[in-house]
Amino acid sequence: MNFDLDQDQLDAAAGAERFFTGQAGPAQARAALEGGPLAPGRQALADIGFLGITVPEDAGGGGGSVLDLAVVAEQAGAVLAGPSLVTAARAAVLLADQPELAAALADGSRSFCVVDGDHPALDAVGADTFLALVDGDLVIGDGGVATGQPMDATRGLGVVTLTGTRVLVPDAGERWARARDVAVVALAAEDLGTAGKAVEVGVAYAKERQAFGRAIGSYQAVKHALVDAWVGVEQLRSLVWWAAWAADAAPGELPLAAASAGAFAAETLERAAETCIQVHGGTGFTWEHDAHLYWRRAKVDRLLLGDAAEHQDAVAGLVLAGALS
Amino acid sequence: MRTTTLTDERCHPVDFDDTPDEAAYRARVRAALAEHADELVHTDVDADAGEEAADPREQEQALRRTQRVLAEAGLVGVAWAAEHGGQGGSLAQQAIVGQELARARVPSLINHIGIGMCGPTVIAHGTPAQHEKYLARLLRADDVWCQLFSEPASGSDLAALRTTAVRDGEDWVVNGQKVWTTLAHVSDYGILLTRTDPDRPKHAGLTMFVVDMHAPGVTVRPLRQMGGQSDFNEVFLDDVRIPDAERLGEPGEGWRVALTTLLNERVAVGGGGNDLGLSVESLARLAADRLPALPADRQVLARQALGRAAVAALANRYTGYRRLTAISQGGLPGPEASAGKLAGTAAAKLVADAGVRLLGDDAVFAVGPGDDGGADGAGRWQRNQAWLPGIAIAGGTDEVLRNIVGERVLGLPPEPREDKHRPFDASGSAR
Repeated sequence: MNFDLDQDQLDAAAGAERFFTGQAGPAQARAALEGGPLAPGRQALADIGFLGITVPEDAGGGGGSVLDLAVVAEQAGAVLAGPSLVTAARAAVLLADQPELAAALADGSRSFCVVDGDHPALDAVGADTFLALVDGDLVIGDGGVATGQPMDATRGLGVVTLTGTRVLVPDAGERWARARDVAVVALAAEDLGTAGKAVEVGVAYAKERQAFGRAIGSYQAVKHALVDAWVGVEQLRSLVWWAAWAADAAPGELPLAAASAGAFAAETLERAAETCIQVHGGTGFTWEHDAHLYWRRAKVDRLLLGDAAEHQDAVAGLVLAGALS
Repeated sequence: MRTTTLTDERCHPVDFDDTPDEAAYRARVRAALAEHADELVHTDVDADAGEEAADPREQEQALRRTQRVLAEAGLVGVAWAAEHGGQGGSLAQQAIVGQELARARVPSLINHIGIGMCGPTVIAHGTPAQHEKYLARLLRADDVWCQLFSEPASGSDLAALRTTAVRDGEDWVVNGQKVWTTLAHVSDYGILLTRTDPDRPKHAGLTMFVVDMHAPGVTVRPLRQMGGQSDFNEVFLDDVRIPDAERLGEPGEGWRVALTTLLNERVAVGGGGNDLGLSVESLARLAADRLPALPADRQVLARQALGRAAVAALANRYTGYRRLTAISQGGLPGPEASAGKLAGTAAAKLVADAGVRLLGDDAVFAVGPGDDGGADGAGRWQRNQAWLPGIAIAGGTDEVLRNIVGERVLGLPPEPREDKHRPFDASGSAR
């Protein structure tokens, strides 16, 4: 048994961290909230190869695994990058036998959005190519996007009205389900990065801020809250890696692993972001402080691609059907 | 806050399957267990979760025989060095044996405290004569071991313990009381932490010994727990004479010796991501049996509780696989193991509560009318429920574990400890 990243994946994570540092971060997420562009933005992500990690090499992608994508997605989550790697991962599955479209995903010449009925769709803002499941068929087309005032502008959420669609792959129910599971894993991987960063920011402040004559992180009430958040992050990491590995190596385990990761990610990121605010005290709930940017991501992501209750119910259904026996 | 470290060996992709060598080893283990099946105790699954044997004395003898058979088959002390009576195998092989024992429904080894905690402490700090005298017999359960650390006035604050050892010629004379001593009532030896120098600060005045549990002056009294069973004991030590040759480590070095024990304890309890209490698989079986009979509106809530518990158990299990991978690549068990016990306890409580709630109205009875309490009946879920509060306390309370993770992993400052640098007798701890 070996359950750890390999050297290439560690190198990829380190490389992604270097790329994202300076390209994206809370300052850019704040700017997006005030009407600025997404950072690093679609073209920069395409140029570095991150939108095509799981696109086959002969379609111009990296030919990598979902786990390869997950380690990069974690780094993207840590800096609140946009657009998401969730859409890239999901579209790559949907476009598995469409090399031209997959190439356009990887090189950024098309901006994809995957639509789940009338639920707000991730990366809808600015998208020019929409994918959806209609009557069991995978369709592609244009769309009109209705947006509200964003909670987290980096997610590009909008309700999509499809126009001018054509059937790309008939009878694509299974592929759609797999793509959605892979998307849940990628979302959980981004949430892992965001949650880890929120804990890191909280820990750093708890070491520095003094009250009653000593660092607040020395008080058990503060320390234990941060520890619980950190333990959650490390447990989430295990589910994300398992689910991402399963996507390629053990597809039969993917539904259970993806739903587990999705349920755990929603609650772990929320707790990490709320703990980060609480540890910062009065400064934690100001507009100026970055804490609310992680919190915004948490409050939005926990509702995307199914909330924790929906994922828990899916896990229960799989367990009742014998997934653990 | 990285949890992974770079080494040259880390070039393999994720793989939950056995390597060819591991598969061959597993086949040999499985064959050995089949060959000796008639000589081994077998149990219902999850028999550790607060279950109690009908005849404890007979059960003890059977468990000792079981461990001896396994030891002779080379299945105990797998990763211990051959010079200490072990097999010189890998931690991966040890994990495989653990999995195969569980699969064959062989209960926990009676000497699990000895193998998991006392033995590694004797190996690390004992003399060659002590190695020779104790280790092989420990692996065969010829001697069962216990760990005499906690006292009525020092649980989490272990270094404040008051049991004294005073030098008298070639012996030390021990007086005091220990408590929460697992297996003391069946033990032949124990590792015993004592205060030998009350004039030094509390951590610096401690010394560790091996004590003969049959020596004059050692009195063991079982403690009955809230669930009714007796896993623990009080141990009274009245003028117990221990030869100096049975000291473990130097006088005053007892705290350092104890840390070896405690580190191994946290790896043994929850470090591998194994389920504490009734397993999530047990819950799955119970749910398949009971959930469809609930009213529809209750089913929704029961499914959510089942899902939440299963996710927590899986998160803990796969985190354990990461920890086992790190250890098998040569990493030492670190403070992260404390996080494993914290998360394992939390997951176990979710599993336990989901199970009890599936019992519906039967949950008001420890064992209800027309229920024999066995199999997946109410009795075992009730025993499990009553056993779990102790798990959040024994082997490091949740609060102490959070301090360890907070200070040693996250680098947060400790709380001021006013008694830490004062002579023990002059500190508040001695009163």
